[in-house]
Amino acid sequence: MNTMEELLMVERETTVGPEEGLHARPAARFVHTAKQFSSRITVSKDDREANAKSPMKIMSLGAKKGEKVFIRAEGDDAEEAVEALATLISARG
Amino acid sequence: MSTRDEAAGKLEPIRLTGIAAAEGVAVGPVFAHVPGELKPGREHILEGAVEAEMERFRRAVEVVAGQLSEVGERLGESGSGEEAAIFEAHAEIAGDPELESGVEERVRNLQSPEAAVLAVGEEYADVFAAMEDEYMAARADDVRDVTGQIAVEIMGREVAGLEVLETPSVVLARSLAPSDTARIPRGMALGFVTAEGSRTSHVSIMARSMDIPAVVGVGAALDGVLEARFVAVDGTEGYAVADPGPEILAEFESKKEGITAERAALEEFKHVEARTRDGRRIEVSANLGSAGEAEGALAWGAEGVGLFRSEFLFMERAKLPTEDEQYEVYREVAVTFGERPVIIRTLDVGGDKSLPGVDQGEEENPFLGWRGIRMSLDTPELFEPQLRAILRAAAHGNLKVMFPMVSDVGELRAAKEVLARCRERLEGDGVEVGVVDAGVMIETPAAAICAAELAREAAFFSIGTNDLVQYTMAADRGNERLRHLRGADHPAVLKLIGEACGAAREAGIWVGVCGEAAGDPALIPTLIELGVTELSMGASAIPRAKKILSEL
Repeated sequence: MNTMEELLMVERETTVGPEEGLHARPAARFVHTAKQFSSRITVSKDDREANAKSPMKIMSLGAKKGEKVFIRAEGDDAEEAVEALATLISARG
Repeated sequence: MSTRDEAAGKLEPIRLTGIAAAEGVAVGPVFAHVPGELKPGREHILEGAVEAEMERFRRAVEVVAGQLSEVGERLGESGSGEEAAIFEAHAEIAGDPELESGVEERVRNLQSPEAAVLAVGEEYADVFAAMEDEYMAARADDVRDVTGQIAVEIMGREVAGLEVLETPSVVLARSLAPSDTARIPRGMALGFVTAEGSRTSHVSIMARSMDIPAVVGVGAALDGVLEARFVAVDGTEGYAVADPGPEILAEFESKKEGITAERAALEEFKHVEARTRDGRRIEVSANLGSAGEAEGALAWGAEGVGLFRSEFLFMERAKLPTEDEQYEVYREVAVTFGERPVIIRTLDVGGDKSLPGVDQGEEENPFLGWRGIRMSLDTPELFEPQLRAILRAAAHGNLKVMFPMVSDVGELRAAKEVLARCRERLEGDGVEVGVVDAGVMIETPAAAICAAELAREAAFFSIGTNDLVQYTMAADRGNERLRHLRGADHPAVLKLIGEACGAAREAGIWVGVCGEAAGDPALIPTLIELGVTELSMGASAIPRAKKILSEL
């Protein structure tokens, strides 16, 4: 959180779409997209949270097709980031 | 020399059984790739050196990530998309911010950066290795491969790798990372045998793309043959024989001849005009996913393009393609194929893939949703530029258009009206356009059942068997449990195909097939029997299809 002003925070729940889950290639695509935003972005599954800009953390979640994940972004482009990443993650790939 | 051959007086062949990862057979001298364990040069650093050591780490990451992306780009340009993706994913891992922060924490505690990067890599590798999923467990090796390369770069040390291969050999190794296979000088690897791995391991993917026979996952038995002189590999059956005797060598020799003869026999069929034995002409065409594949398809002997998927123009980009951009692509394919027909399928995406700037809404069942012609008719801003581009490009070759996901004759009439209107306007503006036949895809049961009505309006039918099977059997083709409902040879599906062929014959139009069934040796005779006169498939399946046709 910023000291002076509240940063925009957006979160959304979505379902993993790709057949192979959030594995190497979908994870790489996901991270690639996340890096285009300046917001701090996390993905969480169950009680574990991962930095959306880290391919290894994202893969460590082991999210499978059909599982629910939570995307949270904080920053100026939080809205756009969550929108773009939720669309990407839920697409069948 | 090992003790066993002294004792026996001659070498006893040892057979290793594993997974058939890349087909073909090879016999050659053994090259055992047994790199020593990668050890950090220093364990600790001095206080006050933290910033300088972190700088060393960051520079090493930059170098390694740069090399990996460069290899990825090179592979991408040469059309090896699958391997390119491996290297791009590795470059991402190298630049992972969490890797850097993990290393930084350790370096601040005065661990050397090379020891730190290996330790952090091992932590992640352990997480992946513990996952149930075989594919994910294999990612442990990716992480070790990348962090190992960074450590080596920090230490400024060259590890002796497979670049030293000087004679064509069969490479034996515990596992082979992409950075290993990429270093092999061209033509020096005759085959691969690895202790670890599965069909989806990198070594398997690379071996298939390089056309090198490979057996993976032979287990600890590999250790017993590292000192063998020769090894014979059968990547089709999934086994290898170390120190094969004359009998086994002869057996492999004849296998090799068999494969060479088969390939040569198919080679002969590449560029013949496909005909059945009784002289019926069947057009054997290629399915293309992008313009870049056109030259390759011609080399395989494609007599046309039965399905040009236009989706790639629309996907993975920030903006929709303009009419001119599409025109350039369609013209390129049309010119490449000259007089041979090229069928462009208009945009076929649904809610499972997103389009920039198009609100597709949320769909419960994207495969039963707003897609194909349904979307095109509702979005003239997408449909009309595509049709105009096709009409203009048709002036430079033999282009046809077909509409996907049609389930009602009204849709076909509406689509043809838009096409006619686009033509009139272009002609009115004095723009050069070509003749474009408009066909319809038969991929919904409704289209097959109402084929007689459609045949009166369409110039041709193209049966998309993949979707026709999925919709007829009400079985999601991605669902492994429904495998038994996936075949295009199910009587219900064949009945619908027969229905469409009958209606087409009546109306005097031709029928093609562009699903997987078109290249399936077991199904080709049935399709021809039903009256199909064009088969469109993945380009590499063309020679075999032509051969099968010649025997009918």
